Formats: sequence, C-alpha cells, structure tokens
Amino acid sequence: MTKLAINRLKERRPLDAESVDRFVARYGSPIVEGERATFLYRGEADEVHVRHRVVGLPDPLRMRRVGASDLWAVTTVLPVGSRVEYQVETVRGSTVVRFNDPLNTRLAHGPFGASSVCASEGYAVPEWALPDPEARAGEMVDLVVPSKALGRDQPVQVYLPARFQSAQRYPLLVVHDGGDYLAYAALRTVLDNLIHRLDMAPVVAAFLTPKDRLVEYANHAPHSRFVARELRPYLTERLPLREGPQGCCLMGASFGGIASLAAAVRYPDAVGSLLLQSASLVFTDIGHDHGGGPAFDPVVKFVNRFRAAPSAPVDRLFMSCGIYEPLITPNRSMAPVFRSAGMDVLSVEARDGHNWENWRDRLRDGLSWLFPGAQKFVYE
Amino acid sequence: MTTILLGPQRFTVTARAALRSLGVEGAVATVNAGWEEREGEDRELDSVLDGRTLNLRLHARMADVLAKDPDVAAAAYAFGEQRDTLVALYELRLRHALAAAYSVQHRIARHGDPTGAAAAALEESVRTVRTVDRWYLAELAELHRRREEQAPPSQSEVVAWHRGEVAADLASCRVVVLTGGNVATLLTALRLFDVRLPEHVPVIAWSAGAMVLTGKVVLFHDYAPQGDSDASVWDRGLGRLPDLLLLPHATRRLRLDDKARMSVLARRFRKRQAVLLDDGARLRIDADGQLPQEARVVTLAGTVRKGQHR
Repeated sequence: MTKLAINRLKERRPLDAESVDRFVARYGSPIVEGERATFLYRGEADEVHVRHRVVGLPDPLRMRRVGASDLWAVTTVLPVGSRVEYQVETVRGSTVVRFNDPLNTRLAHGPFGASSVCASEGYAVPEWALPDPEARAGEMVDLVVPSKALGRDQPVQVYLPARFQSAQRYPLLVVHDGGDYLAYAALRTVLDNLIHRLDMAPVVAAFLTPKDRLVEYANHAPHSRFVARELRPYLTERLPLREGPQGCCLMGASFGGIASLAAAVRYPDAVGSLLLQSASLVFTDIGHDHGGGPAFDPVVKFVNRFRAAPSAPVDRLFMSCGIYEPLITPNRSMAPVFRSAGMDVLSVEARDGHNWENWRDRLRDGLSWLFPGAQKFVYE
Repeated sequence: MTTILLGPQRFTVTARAALRSLGVEGAVATVNAGWEEREGEDRELDSVLDGRTLNLRLHARMADVLAKDPDVAAAAYAFGEQRDTLVALYELRLRHALAAAYSVQHRIARHGDPTGAAAAALEESVRTVRTVDRWYLAELAELHRRREEQAPPSQSEVVAWHRGEVAADLASCRVVVLTGGNVATLLTALRLFDVRLPEHVPVIAWSAGAMVLTGKVVLFHDYAPQGDSDASVWDRGLGRLPDLLLLPHATRRLRLDDKARMSVLARRFRKRQAVLLDDGARLRIDADGQLPQEARVVTLAGTVRKGQHR
C-alpha cells in the first residue's frame, strides 16, 4: 500500500518551511487518496479542527501539528462516492474562528453561506445538473397569488417548460423553498436538461418561498390550505394543467419535506405524489425528548401521529437522504411505514449530508421516477 | 407482401440499399410522425431515399385536427387521461407479476429444481404476466371503443379531409417507409388517419416504424434513468407482422447478458419471435412470413441466436 502523502512529508528531514510550501502548493487540501482524505491547515493556532456534520466521524475532527512546522493535518476515512461539506476552525486562546478551508477552492453554497467541499474518488457533479447549450430553456414567470389562508399575497415563480403548448396538459410540481432550489440546487437547469433528454416529462413547476419557514413548513394548516385550495386552483385557471390528484406533486427538502407531506395528508384529493429530500421526519417512540428544539415540536407531533395511524395520501412517494446526516435514521424508519400504508415508495440514499448539492444530485432519480420521460417511447 | 426491417439509421444507413433492393420505381411514401415537431426536417431522409419521397405529414395533420376540431381534441385529452390511469394500474400489476416470476427464477438458480415444481411455478408465473398484459389490452380496447363512440373521428370533417388526402397520397406511392421516433405518437397518428398499408405495397421500416407493424407494440428500456423499467405492452400495432416482437436498439436498451430476464421476456411473448434490430440489421420478410436466417432472435432460454428459434 502506498504511503499517504502526509506521512511521506512527516518523514522528510529536514522538515523545513520550503518543504511545507512545496507540499501545500502541490496538494492543496483536502488530499484524497483512495478511501482516505487528509485535511490541511497552515498557520499558527493553539488548536485546529475540521468541523462537519458527518454522522459517524468525530466532530470536531482535531488536526495535529506536523512536526514543528505551522502545518496542521488530520486524515480520516472517506468511502468512494462520498461528498462532505466542512469548515476549518481555529482556536487561539479564547478566540474560536470558523471559516472555509483557505487551501480548497471548491465551495458549496446554501442559504446560510458557503462551505468547503471534500469529494472523494467516485464522486462527480452530475452532468445533467450543469448547463447544457443543447437543452432548450424553459421560461420563468413571476406571479402573485392572493391567499386568504396565509393572509397575504404570496409571490410564486412559475417554470414553463421549453416548447410549452397551451393545447397540452402538464403536471404541476410545487417546490417548497423554491428560491433555494433554484439558487443552490440548480433546479431550473436540471428541469431544462432532464426534459430535453426525455429523462422526465415536461412539467409546470411552482416555486414557493416561505415567509416564516419554521412555522409555515412545520405542519401548518394554513400553508397546506394555501397549496391545495388556493395555489393549485389559481394556477389551473391560468395554465393548462392536468386535473385530479395525479396531476400534482409536492416536493421539498428538510422542513420542506414535512410541508409537502402535511399538505398531502390534509388534502389527499389534491396531491398525487411526493418528492421528499432529507425530510425532517423526526419522531419519538416514547416521551417527547426528540432533541430537535422547539421548532421541531409540531413536526414530531405530526410524524408521531402519522406513525400511529399511517395513511396513504398519495400513490407515489420518492424519498432521498444522505447517509452522513442524522435524519437518515428517521428516514429509513419511515420508508417501510409509508410502504405498508400502501404507497409506492422509492427510497434513495447517498454518501452525502444535509445540503443542497446532495438534494440536487438526487433530483434525476426522483423526477424521472415520478414523471417518467418519453425515453421508453422513443426508438430513433 | 414484402417488408424490410432495418436497424436504427442514425449511424449505419441502410435504407437506400434496402429501397434499391426492391427494384421498384415510383414515389416513396414516408411516415415520420414519430419525429413529432421535427417531422418537416426530412431533407436528409429524402436524399437517402433517392429524392423520391412524399411525406404523409401525419404529425402536422394531427396538430391541425387538434387545433380545428375541439370535439376530437377534447376526446383525445380525455382518452389520454384515462389511458394514463390505466397504464399506472397496469404497471403496478405488471411489476408485481414480473417480480414473482423473477423470484421463482432466482430460487431455481440457487436451489435447482429436483422435482420440477419450480419450473411449473415459473411457467405459471409467466402465465400470470400474460394475463396482466391481456387484461391491459382488453381495457385499452374498451377505452378506444368508448372514444370512437363518443367522438368518432370519422365524423369529423377535418379528420375526413385529411384521411382523404392521406389515402390519395398513399395510393400514388409504390413503397412505404416508416421511420423511428416516438412510437406512441406514430401509432396515434396512424390510427387517427386510418392508415392502412396495402399488402402489395412493400414497406421498409426501422425502430419505432418497425414496432408499429407488429401485433403488439412492446416498450422496453432496461437502462432508463429511473432505473429498471419492465417491458410493457403499449397498444396493438398494425398487425402486418403479427408473429414478431421487434426490439430496436436491443444492445443499447436491453440487458441481453441477463439470460434469466431475457428468458422471461421471450416466454412472456412466446407466440412471437423476439427479434433484435440493432445497427446494421436488414431483414427481408416476404409473403411466407419467414424470418431470414441472419435474424438474431431471443430464445426461450434467454440467449441470442441467429435464425428462427421457438
């Protein structure tokens, strides 16, 4: 077995600043070698940590000083196909600072800022998530939907697929956290590409952005009413949408998954399928100590209730989750519950965490399963 | 009755040679409605067919009908919705029926079949799959019947006008060519305009165009983005080649090395020869209906061989 690069460096004599300079310039950070990843930091500090949210790895992951140099390093296991978001944390006296890895240019973005990315061997950004000049772009239309349920005018961004024809009937995809899906999960590009490649059928998508997310997406009756009884009829009046529950799919990640499921449970006559990504399906088997804080109280109550009396509000349910995130356990637990209730469930896992790029990378699995494209029909 | 079946024409063009091999002069009717909105982009096709083509423009005609006759359009949408519901039910039943057949197969592979009971169980499982296929086709026929009853296309003036034109164009041609594309669109267009292919007129067809000539149009794609997609019956075809199950792009679309899976496919449609139509394939079938020896077919054991194998 070849020695890790960091171990070869440690054996070098003398281990002077020039050797470290050359090493850092050559490898950057992290160094991925087989199923190992070595994180580096250069600078003076009392302690240096890698901070991440990977279940199963110690967090913080403490770096060690390499010899007497100002280089810090830690090596951890990283199975093939993994993708991890992380930051570096330095401690100097009582000052703790967290920041993106200065030796790594690869960043992932999200609503709470950017993180550094460590991708192991075998991981690649799916090419269908990147802009394709061959794919005809859909059109985005800004609408404002008056809502009595929410007590406000709700802005909605609507995606119309390329070659949109009013003579056709399209399924409706309602996207919770729509702005984030567009900004951080490239959903518009993904829709353009998957539709162009016949991987999925053309859909009309409605992108919603919440006002008070932790309230509106945590099993909130007014939000469910808005989606089922206000948004859908409003759009159906103005766009050529398919009728019946089969014509409507709700999707969302994390709390957005709960908002989708809750709306379907309340209005099964309006929703035919669900696409849930890392849904916050937290529950308790006994007691109320769920560890999620007050924001999760209504979620846990809702999921507990569902588990006590499972129903099948939709025909088809796609769920994905990262196996490095804490929500993998509740998601794995809920898949058989959904199945036993009579829903057709496809559950997909990935070596990733609770983040937008994980959700982006699973979109083709979900969208092509829920809205199969014409590939099966096309024999050129 | 002569029919020439070809492999996909995108990379290996054999249509010109096939046409010339017929030794027939005169116009060639082309049906490329499967190309949908690209139907009119047929200059290359015309050039391959020696500049003798007369495009029946069935897709454009279909769009014209839907735009001009609201009754036909409404009936088409209603039919589409009903069909989607039926297909969802069919696929649900089919998946479970096929899963049972594959499970029995795996058990045979692991434990053998000393008593012959497992072979009987497999046969019965495949029979169940056939029952599901038959049920779907019967329900679909009923949907077609009701649609005909509620809004008979023959009573639409627009449809009648197009049908007249298509029939006249067809009558003026000595050969018919059906290209690939979206097989569902192609079949819908052929049905709407009541296109009948006279027995005495030679037909050259590939990919989707070949599939619609059979008795049952069977869809298949083992590498679909949503994962395994079970082969499923879509609709009845034109029935010119009722004893064949045609599998265009077989190497690209089917797990041909999975003998167990291929065996279930062949057994499921055992009354038909499952014929691969890959790049370069060229099969001439004359009045006797016999497949040429070079035809590559799927045997009941799931292997691929040349010649006729039942």
